[in-house]
Amino acid sequence: MGCSSSLPDRTSGRLGGLNSENGGAPDAKNLRVKLVLLGDSGVGKSCIVLRFVRGQFDPTSKVTVGASFLSQTIALQDSTTVKFEIWDTAGQERYAALAPLYYRGAAVAVVVYDITSPDSFTKAQYWVKELQKHGSPDIVMALVGNKADLQEKREVPVQDGIDYAEKNGMFFIETSAKTADNINQLFEEIAKRLPRPSPS
Amino acid sequence: MENADVFGSSTAPLTWHDFLERMRQPSATDFVKAIKSFIVSFSNNAPDPERDSAAVQEFLTNMETAFRAHSLWSGCSEEELESAGEGLEKYVMTKLFTRVFASLPDDVKIDDQLHEKMALIQQFIQPENLDIKPTFQNETSWLLAQKELQKINMYKAPRDKLVCILSCCKVINNLLFNASIASNENPPGADEFLPVLIYVTIKANPPQLHSNLLYIQRYRRQSRLVAEAAYFFTNMLSSESFILNIDANALSMDESEFEQNMESARTLLSGLSMDSDDMPSHSDQNVGKVSRTEPKEPKKQALNPKRPQGPAMRPQFSPELFEAESGNDQEPYAKDQSFLTKVPSISDLENRGATMLLKEDQASQVFQDFPYLFSKAGDLTVKDVEDLLNNYKQLVSKYVCLSQGLGVPTPLTLSISQSQSQHHTETMKESDDTRAVEVNIETHKDIERIDNDSNDISMFGVENPESKLPQDEAVASQGEGNDEAVASQGEGNAEISQR
Ligand SMILES: Nc1nc2c(ncn2[C@@H]2O[C@H](COP(=O)(O)OP(=O)(O)O)[C@@H](O)[C@H]2O)c(=O)[nH]1
Ligand SMILES: [Mg+2]
Repeated sequence: MGCSSSLPDRTSGRLGGLNSENGGAPDAKNLRVKLVLLGDSGVGKSCIVLRFVRGQFDPTSKVTVGASFLSQTIALQDSTTVKFEIWDTAGQERYAALAPLYYRGAAVAVVVYDITSPDSFTKAQYWVKELQKHGSPDIVMALVGNKADLQEKREVPVQDGIDYAEKNGMFFIETSAKTADNINQLFEEIAKRLPRPSPS
Repeated sequence: MENADVFGSSTAPLTWHDFLERMRQPSATDFVKAIKSFIVSFSNNAPDPERDSAAVQEFLTNMETAFRAHSLWSGCSEEELESAGEGLEKYVMTKLFTRVFASLPDDVKIDDQLHEKMALIQQFIQPENLDIKPTFQNETSWLLAQKELQKINMYKAPRDKLVCILSCCKVINNLLFNASIASNENPPGADEFLPVLIYVTIKANPPQLHSNLLYIQRYRRQSRLVAEAAYFFTNMLSSESFILNIDANALSMDESEFEQNMESARTLLSGLSMDSDDMPSHSDQNVGKVSRTEPKEPKKQALNPKRPQGPAMRPQFSPELFEAESGNDQEPYAKDQSFLTKVPSISDLENRGATMLLKEDQASQVFQDFPYLFSKAGDLTVKDVEDLLNNYKQLVSKYVCLSQGLGVPTPLTLSISQSQSQHHTETMKESDDTRAVEVNIETHKDIERIDNDSNDISMFGVENPESKLPQDEAVASQGEGNDEAVASQGEGNAEISQR
């Protein structure tokens, strides 16, 4: 198991969750963001999320027994907080047609591939096209080349990722869920790119 | 999954009672008027889901804002206000239920289509067809998740229906999580979860799935269908969509293999239904709709697996048939009379017997006399086999003779019961777990009850669906059109008329 050997902490309490969820006024300082994960089975989506959620101390984070839905709040420099609600999607081919149900209404889509697998990079490009066609127009997209620790097995050059992301107006990063490299950066960069409700 | 979000904040039975109590305060007069006139306004229009849903959402939002500003809730916590909102939603939707649930013929058609498809596919689908890895396969325990889904028609409030789905997801997640620990795998993600949910849904074949999902989507207050609840609800929508579109390719089968499987499933099911074609289907929660008054063709009935067949048939229709509201001594027996007006079929007789057993509340005692009924496969010794086989032969010959004597076809063949033996062990275990007795009562829907003007507060022992573990309920009613269950929770009878 490449990502983490520790079990999820099941003792976290339930804090927060009420302010913006029960119809109160949207809060410019505390964003709640739906993030959907897309990518082939096995590229490391679950590991990335688990690494992100466990790796940070945050008493309000909710920990579940699975990795299909997780939420994690991060604090930014400007004292705003962003609560990511992370929606995992099934990566098997037979479920591909269901993805629109999941990315509907998502503010962020993270498309993951495995740098040792050209097929997974092709699949990532398929997801980007799908999102461009059917996702909400202002969705923030990130392209993630995972398993960056496996340099010796690399088959997708960094430059290919960079180029493709640039052409499609996406944020690009290579990560390793195994070593935790760039995992927090990924989410912080996404948070910075979110459209802010204009303060009025 | 112990994430509190999933169930919203109003989990306490107190909520509902508390809401009604507040509405009975003199200062709530205007609220009561507003609520009543909103409900009345619905009776003037033909159903239009888009408009109706928007109207309900808007009304709930406005009322909750008004609650917030009102002296009745001054000094109250967010939780209490949230509870009031839940109470309002439940009250309004319980009143509007018969008008807005499954109200369009097109939706009802999809319900039937889905039901038929699941009835067929459940006969042959294997976990592998959906990419469920062996480590995560656990058909016996999945029965618990199926049971949660099958309860969906026991409730009228959108939240309560949603909770059935979420409880099902919770059971699945817990099982996957335990399996992942046992096998030292990563915690389960969507790759593991969705396939199991689809499998469980097909095996459960919950009643009126499409209508139930639409109803939750339209009438659960939007601001409460968020976060984890929204995620798991989306998975349910996604399962529905997958199932509707299932073809050979979706299950990694050859075209011919798939067709052949579907064909044998059809044959099997139509064979099963031979003794029951004369009886109407009662699986709908909401009857009396235009689309429901048209006669059903026999084929649809044949594929409705919600009714009892011969004893050996039951295992394949697991687990709901093992459930009965044994403590419930009201109502369902009233329809006994209908049996008198026609020549009884075997399942009529069976139902009547079951009803009598229930009435006497001695069911479990009677069944205790049959030594193997509560055994698990693992408990049996080789010596038991001979005994069991003799029992079986006697049973079959008695059954066949009785059938012949009654002049009704014998609805089972040896090959069928053999092919089901694997499922049988599962359900036997299930019955052992729950000590439940196999009884299936067809209930007449009694939709008038919702307008019953009873203020009986003692009825408000609101069941809290998520607080109990699936194993804990010794018995639960079938969950189809079971308005007794709803009424006994006080939902149907609640009125907010002021004293
Ligand atoms: N070397 C390495 N292995 C990884 C990394 N991330 C995930 N894995 C492994 O890849 C496999 C699939 O990971 P998983 O998160 O389940 O992929 P998912 O199907 O996209 O959710 C697992 O065996 C992980 O241990 C990584 O960054 N580096
Ligand atoms: Mg995964």
